[in-house]
Formats: sequence, structure tokens, C-alpha cells
Amino acid sequence: MSKKATRAVVSAVVVLTALIAVLWTTVSEGAQYYKHVDEVMNDPSPWYGKNMQLHGFVVDKSIEQRPDTLDYRFKIKSGDFAVTALYSGVVPDTFKDGAEVVLTGRLDASGFKAHIVTAKCPSKYEAAGPGAPAKTR
Amino acid sequence: MASLGYFLILAAFVLASGAFAASIAGSRRAQRSLVDGGLGLFHTVTAIMGVLSAVIVHAFVVGDFSIKYVQRYSDASQPLFYKLASYWGGLDGSLMFWVTLLATFGSVAVYVNRERHRLLVPWVVAVISLVEMFFLFLMVIHNNPFETYLTTVPTEGAGLSPLLQNFYMAIHPPLLYLGFVGMTIPFAFGMAALATGQVDDSWLRAVRSWTMMAWLFLTVGLSLGALWAYEELGWGGYWGWDPVENAGLLPWFTATAFLHSVIVQERRGMLKVWNMALVIVTFFLTIFGTFMTRSGVVQSVHSFGENRELAWLFTGFMVTTLVLSFGLLIRRLHLLRARNELDSWISREAAFMANNWVLLFSAFFVLFATMFPTLSEAVTGERLTVAAPFFNTWLTPVGLVLLFLTGVGPLLAWRKSAISNLASQFMLPTAAGVVTAGGVVFLGVPFWASGLCFGLCGLVTMTIVQEFWQGAAVRRQSTGTDIFTALVGLFARSRRRYGGYVVHLGIVLVFLGFAGGGFEREEQVLLKPGQQVDVAPYTVRFSSLGITDDGQKQMVTAQVEAFRNGKPIGRMFPARWFFRGREGEPTTEVALRRTFADDLYIVLAGYAVENQSATLVVKVNPLVNWIWLGVGIMAMGTFIALLPERAFAFATAKVPAGAATTTMVLLLILSGFGVGLEAQHVESAQTVAVIPKTPMERELQSQIICMCGTCGRKKIGECTCPDAEKMRIELAGLVEKGMTHDQIIEHFVTKWGSQEVLASPIDKGFNRLAWLLPYAVGAIGVVAAGGLAIRWSRRPSSGGAYGANVPVDPALESRLDDELRDLD
Repeated sequence: MSKKATRAVVSAVVVLTALIAVLWTTVSEGAQYYKHVDEVMNDPSPWYGKNMQLHGFVVDKSIEQRPDTLDYRFKIKSGDFAVTALYSGVVPDTFKDGAEVVLTGRLDASGFKAHIVTAKCPSKYEAAGPGAPAKTR
Repeated sequence: MASLGYFLILAAFVLASGAFAASIAGSRRAQRSLVDGGLGLFHTVTAIMGVLSAVIVHAFVVGDFSIKYVQRYSDASQPLFYKLASYWGGLDGSLMFWVTLLATFGSVAVYVNRERHRLLVPWVVAVISLVEMFFLFLMVIHNNPFETYLTTVPTEGAGLSPLLQNFYMAIHPPLLYLGFVGMTIPFAFGMAALATGQVDDSWLRAVRSWTMMAWLFLTVGLSLGALWAYEELGWGGYWGWDPVENAGLLPWFTATAFLHSVIVQERRGMLKVWNMALVIVTFFLTIFGTFMTRSGVVQSVHSFGENRELAWLFTGFMVTTLVLSFGLLIRRLHLLRARNELDSWISREAAFMANNWVLLFSAFFVLFATMFPTLSEAVTGERLTVAAPFFNTWLTPVGLVLLFLTGVGPLLAWRKSAISNLASQFMLPTAAGVVTAGGVVFLGVPFWASGLCFGLCGLVTMTIVQEFWQGAAVRRQSTGTDIFTALVGLFARSRRRYGGYVVHLGIVLVFLGFAGGGFEREEQVLLKPGQQVDVAPYTVRFSSLGITDDGQKQMVTAQVEAFRNGKPIGRMFPARWFFRGREGEPTTEVALRRTFADDLYIVLAGYAVENQSATLVVKVNPLVNWIWLGVGIMAMGTFIALLPERAFAFATAKVPAGAATTTMVLLLILSGFGVGLEAQHVESAQTVAVIPKTPMERELQSQIICMCGTCGRKKIGECTCPDAEKMRIELAGLVEKGMTHDQIIEHFVTKWGSQEVLASPIDKGFNRLAWLLPYAVGAIGVVAAGGLAIRWSRRPSSGGAYGANVPVDPALESRLDDELRDLD
């Protein structure tokens, strides 16, 4: 019994460790940093090229759209820092001046290239049941 | 009313504590009167919860806006149905709803088992009362749904969010809750078994149906949530790996594992500790799911905002539950020794164990990935998030392994599979799998993930067919009936096993739908009227933008024309609705054209009135509908497994089995009719009512159908979309011109190029066949059933169901026994 039990425990531990190791290594590929604009733009260069989600507020009157396309350029800020963002695609309804947004994409010297724009729900929406992910891609 | 409600909550809490104390004391001192007293209190709590629900529903219906909860989640203009749904629209109400369901389930379970499991009952009462007490406590100190406005009372409610005013959304939470709450019952019985030391298999027998039922509710609840996301949210998918969705999925994994491993314990006396642990973990995960969604620990797009105090209360409760239940388990470990050991890795119990590990790993993985942002912040201080692709890359192989086991498990024998046996069992399924995979790869489907998934679907399907075939053949030989009756007899002899196979068949269809997800295509475009976009095999041309108002909401509707392979398939109307007072959160009205091959999914993502342009998201989602169909079949299979033995008495008892065949055929036909595909269509507020002037016009209005392509072929006399309106006007014009009935029909047929425009094909020539077919099938069915009935009634029925005068080969007999020996 004891021999069997040790064997079972050892194999369980080995399998579990292997799994966790694999999980932990793959997670770094799939994972994104979740950052606020000021945390990143304080010293942007280390963040260039990193996959991240950037949280901030749309700067008033900064949204520009190239006529007849879905190309957008706008600024988001938090604290004392702002960054220009570029995005091509459908924006959520709640994406407007002052909106709280989370951009997914990569930063480079010219600005933040987003491939997903998520707008947080208006605050009064909170607690209204499993609500609406303002999700667009 | 509000104070009555508050008082009743307090009373329920006190009574639940009483039930808890009396039951434990009664059980320990073996005093019948105390136990009975506890039972009485327990049922009283259930009654009070019923009254509480009545009170809050009453408040919603009459619009008592002095109660904060009512004010926040309803308004006077809401339809009655959604007023009822507002009960669980928010946190406070859902807690109360939860307790109500739990109390009801508990009372029923205790009542049903009061004689058979007399020793367990007091502990079951105690455990359920304890859970009730926790939630009632939350309501008393933290989330009282009966809280009132102390100052001025608002005269109007804020209203339920328009997004939630959707049929699926109204019934999805209660179903999910039913699933969650149902899992408490097995937990309570498991704990009772541990506490009393009565850890034989009898507690498992008591909870078997409960677990299946809870599992069914959970499955249907989850898929309704997915359906809601697909149809209502308009992001084109059905599962986004959002923490709230994951919360429902976690207990589903462990409950599925439990349903399988229970069989091993019943059959071989193994995995006793494991089963107990699974029950505990499943219960824990239901509570954890609620905690995750309600306390704001994990950031989610639809979480309920942060709530520190609630988070601590929940954490306390969860830790206590874990410590107590696992403590009890460890104390009773010596009683839970396995009767047998694993003989071979090529055996059915090994397959079951593998299935359990995979399911448990899935639960662990989803938990890990969902909590990852929180974990990483706690460990490294850096908040890292993972998104849907991460889940998909990991769970795709896991899902395929699970699918593989679904196909392989039933082919293996208990204890140890003989090699010769293996070859004959595996030949057909393997061939089916290889042929399917080869076929789709040949057609250009990539092997990894999709091709493999199709192949495995083929394998599993063949396994199921083979199982049914072999079972029916054995049964046929021993009873001498026809194949149909033998099939029904199979279900009768072993409902859980064959019901389970039906569930597996549903799983196969769901996986087909998942495999189709690999081929979805999407375009986002900004179009001016007349411009078009290609998403193979569809082309979508934007015609015009319209704005209408129905008093309750403003509707911006794009009219588009859809083509499949260049052929017009009709007009579609993606729209955005802006509800009064909630203009900031318009709802997306997806234009959806469903077929079994693929869905055309069009969303109006944006528009500009100045230049009449529209931003459209056009998606083609292949095979999606198989998911919903598969879930339906899973539900049917579970239902079969849940049927009481009596339901099958007719098939096995004295009555000639013809009755069974006929019933089965009838059921099949009925369910076939039940599968209707529903499509979205746009209600137009400004519909001009064209009142038919002659009886012929009225008749024609019900013979010609709306051709907009999205109304689900409604008759133009009933359809409310703009297309139907145009067709009605056209019809009126033709009638005015004095054309005859047949001329008008001909006009519409030539105009639309086919008889598709008619509600039913013209009764002429080749079409007669189409008319005849249902009648012919029906007639053949009647004749066959009648003939069989006559034949069977001639047979001597003295030998009971298992014709005693049929010579039985002892080898066959033992085979039959092995095949059919059920655990019920």
C-alpha cells in the first residue's frame, strides 16, 4: 500500500508540476500587461513592442476619423500623461469624449496601435444584472 | 409591505437556525421528536420564502417604488413578464431568489427521502439550513431587497436595462440558479453521509437524479446565456471567456466529472473519496461563482462593481465550508476504503478516471486563467490579463481529448479488455473516424483542430450507433421482438446508460459547432447606399438607412440586400434601438439568417445620417446552429435518464411492445416538428395596415409569405416588416386590377422566380409529391404500427416480456447481462 501510495503521490506531483510549468510559460505569451497611461508614458521606451492593455480616458475633442473609413486617431490620458492612439475598426457606442476606455495593442514611438477598443460601461449601468460587454473587435 | 418583507427575512433566519440546531441535536441524541421539529421548521422556512417571493413580485407588479430594489430594476411601462424577471435582475433579489429555490429543492429532497434515508435526513436539513442561513444573513445585514427610501419616494422606476429585456435573458439566470442550487443537494447528502458514518452507496443513490437534474439546468442555463450573447450583444460570438461565464462553467466541469465517476463507485466500489471530494468541490464552485461575479474580485465587463464587505463575508463562508467538509472527509477516510483496485489501464474504469482528470484539469485551468489577473497582481504587483485566445489554445486540445474519451470509453470492458475483443469493438468506430477526418481534410479542411475534431465526431457517433446496435441485437435475440421495441427496451433496462449515449450524441453536435468556429469570417466596412461587401459565400449590399420611432424607442435601421453565391436571398434589417431615457446605451438588433450550414450575421455598428452611410459588421458563422441543436439533444438524453422506471413499464411489462414503438415514433415525429429555426426580423412601427377588401385578398394574404428573408417565412398578412407591407400593397393593387386568384399566384411566382414565395407549394404535378409525402409517411407509420400490434397480440404473452419459450444461449445470456446490467 505504502509503496503504491508513494508512487501515486510522486506521479501526481510530477504531472502537476509539469502542468503548472507549461501553464506558466505559455501564459506569458498569451498574457498582456494591464497598465494606466501615466504608468507607461512616464517612461515609455521599455514598453515599446509589448502586448498590453492600456487604460485611460479619451481626451476631449481628440477623436478624428478619416472620412469614409473606419480609421480613427484619438488621444487617451490618465493623470498628467496622454498618448496618441491609432485604431481601425468599429468603435463601441460608448466611445466618445471623456469615455473610460481600455485599448489592447502595442506601443511604439509614434503612438499606441490598438486592435481592440473596449469602452467601460456608464456607471449607472453597474449592478444592472450581468450587463453588456461593450465588446467590439 | 416592505416591513413585512423585512420581518419575514428575519423570521426565516431565526427558523433556519432553529432547524439547524434541532436537527443536529435530534440526530445526535437520537430523539425523533427533535428531528421532526427540525423538519417542521425547515419546511416552514420554505413556506416563508414562498411568501417573500410573493411579496416582492407583488411590489414589482403594482410598482411600489418606495422599495429601492423595485425602483431600480423596473418601471411602470415594463411588460408584466419582465416585471417578474426583474425579481432576479439585481443582486439583492437574486440572493433572495437563490434562497427560495434552495429551500424549495431542499424541502422536496428531504420529503422524497424521508423514509428511505431516515438517518441522513436530519443532517441534510442541517447542511441546507446552514447554507440558507448564510444567504439570509447576507440579506439581513447587507443586501436587503426590501430597503425603502427614507425621504421622498420617486414616482417612476429606473427600469430594467433594455439589454436584459430579452426572453433568453429573463430565463437564463433562473435556470443557472436552479443548476447551482441543485448542486447543494448532493453536497448536503454527502455531508450527511460523512457525519453519520453511513458512507455506503446509499447516499449516492439518493442524489443521483438530483445531480442529473442540476446538471441539466446548468447546461441549458449556460447555453441560453450563450444564445443571448450571440443574438443580443452583437459581437458575433457566443462565448467570450468572461469571468461571469466561466463562473457558471466551473461547477459544470466538476459536476460532469461526478456524474461519470459515480458509475465507477457503484459498479466497482472505487473512487469513494474522490466522489466525495467532487461533490464538495462542485458545491464550493457554485458558491465561488456567485462570489466571483458579485463581489468584484475579478474585474469583468459585467461584474457588479466592487464590494469589499461582501467579498470578506463570502471568503469567510467559503473557507469555513472547505475546512469543515474536507475535515469531515479526512475524519471518515478509514470508512471510505475502495473495494477494488484498478486491474488494467485498458478498462472502462480507467477511461472514466481519465475523463475525470481531464474535466478536473479543465476546471482548474479555467479557474487559473480567470483568476490570473488577480493572482499576478498579488504575486508580482503587475496586473497581467489573459484573453480569449489563451483559453482557446489551451482548451482546444483538452476538449478533443475529452471527445476522444467519449468515443473510446464505452468500447472498453470493465476490469480489463481482452485484445481480441478490443479489435472487434474498435474496428468500426476507428474506421468511421478515419474516413470522416480523411474526407474533410480532402475537402480542404486543415487537419489540426478542425479536421481532427470532425474525425473524432465521426468516431464517437459510430461508437454510439454500435452500442445501440449491439444492445438491441442482444435484446432482440433474447426477447424475440423487433429492433424498434428492442431499442425502447434498452432504454427501459438501462435508462442512464442509453440516455447518457444520447447526451454524448448531443456533445458530438456541439463539437461540430465548435469546429465550425474555426472557419468564421468577418468584415467591418463603412458603406454608402449601393455599395457592397463580400464575405464568401455571401455578398451584402447596403440599400438605405431609415429612422423610425414607436414612442418607446427610436430605431435606426439599415436595409441591406443579401446574396448567397450571387443569388438574392432577401433583405435584412440590422438596427440600433435607442430606448427613451437610456439613449446612452442603444441595443444592437442583429440581423441574422440562420441555416444549418452557416449563419449570416449582420450588425449595424455605426451610421452617419448626414451622408447616409452605415458601418456594418458582416460575419459568417459556420455550423453555429448545431450547438443549440446539440444542447437540445443533450437535454433530451438527460430527460430520458431521469425518467422514473414506471415511465417505461409499458415497454417491458405485459403490454405488447408495439405500444412502445408507436409512442417512440410519435415522440420522434413531434420533436422533429419542434425544431423550428427562429430568425430575427424587424418590426416596423410605421406599418400601413392594408385591410383586405375581398375574401380572396384575405385568403391570398395567408398564402403568400414575406420575402425579406429574415422573418422566418411569415405570411404577409401577419408579418410586420416593411417588405411585407410592400407586398400587401402590391397584392391589393393586383386585386384591384381584377386579376383572379391563380393569376395573382402566378404573378408572385414569376416575380420571385420560384414557388418559395408561397406558404405551401402549388397542389399540382410534381408538387403533389411534396404534398403527399407527409401523408404517405404517416399512413405507412399507421399501417406498420397496426400490423406489428396485431402480430404481437397474437404472440403468447404468458412468459412475460422475456419470452420464456425462446431458447436462450447461456453465452448470450451472460453477454446480455454484462451489456445490460444496470446500476439502477
